[in-house]
Amino acid sequence: MSNEVQVTEPRGAPNVVFLGAVLAGALVAVLAGVYGQAHAPASETTIKLFFSTTLHFKAWATTLSLALVLVQLATALWMFGKLPGGEAPDWVGPVHRMSGTLALLVALPVAYHCLWSLGFNPDPGGGRRFWHSILGCVFFGAFGTKVLVVRSKRMPGWALPVVGGLLFTTMVLLWLTSSLWFFRQFGIKV
Amino acid sequence: MVLRQVCKWFEILAVFAVVVFVVMLFANSPTAPTPVPAAAVAAAGGIDGGDLFGARCAGCHGGDGSGGIGPRLAGRMVERFPDPAAQITTVTEGRRGMPAFGGRLSAEEIAAIVEYTRTILGT
Repeated sequence: MSNEVQVTEPRGAPNVVFLGAVLAGALVAVLAGVYGQAHAPASETTIKLFFSTTLHFKAWATTLSLALVLVQLATALWMFGKLPGGEAPDWVGPVHRMSGTLALLVALPVAYHCLWSLGFNPDPGGGRRFWHSILGCVFFGAFGTKVLVVRSKRMPGWALPVVGGLLFTTMVLLWLTSSLWFFRQFGIKV
Repeated sequence: MVLRQVCKWFEILAVFAVVVFVVMLFANSPTAPTPVPAAAVAAAGGIDGGDLFGARCAGCHGGDGSGGIGPRLAGRMVERFPDPAAQITTVTEGRRGMPAFGGRLSAEEIAAIVEYTRTILGT
């Protein structure tokens, strides 16, 4: 007689864990928005490195972040077998991780200026700055959720592509509402 | 293997950067206006509006008033605000995306900045 005891995981547990990660990310997004709204904007220049103004630095940094997120997309597609050319080599995974980390590192000083110096900027008519503010909060919330999804072994299989896709989409929209607008207004200069 | 190690170090750096980011959001205070000694004010005949503009306004309006996040100011303020009192009110109370400076700068400082934008920046 077999002494094996079959242990079954409760159904829906991965979805509950995923919900927890989503809520954690939502909390990050809301906190960013609350800070931006409650904190009196400093209206000062912050980092600009070798660029002529802080705004030029931000426009180019956001562009670099977008480029890194595109690398993330390409490596993710490769790892999931969605690109022709067979299985992804070993180095693709670390490149995917590193490009994501670098995208965050580059985005942080941009977000700092936005939050600390400019604040959350609601336009009564819902203009560019309003949507950029919303997207900025969503981006960091989605990033937090993705970190949790990657680290947990109990997430549903569809969680990573969904959250990764949200992160990618948000980054593209952020670039469109900031850097693209800036380059069209002031030209592609440093 | 080396690549994975490098990844790990980058992630540690990212965690550190996020902590610094959060700390700076709360710990970093805007630069307070530099108090001008009474003797210097008397000698100069007033507050230096150009210095104040550089410290408080250039971030959005550009160091030369050519604009950025905020609109262009150079050469336009006299036409935009025929009455300087209206421009002073706008700076004091804020407008759309521009914060109110009434709580951060004195009336004399705001007047000096407005004067600067209507004279030096207009030339």
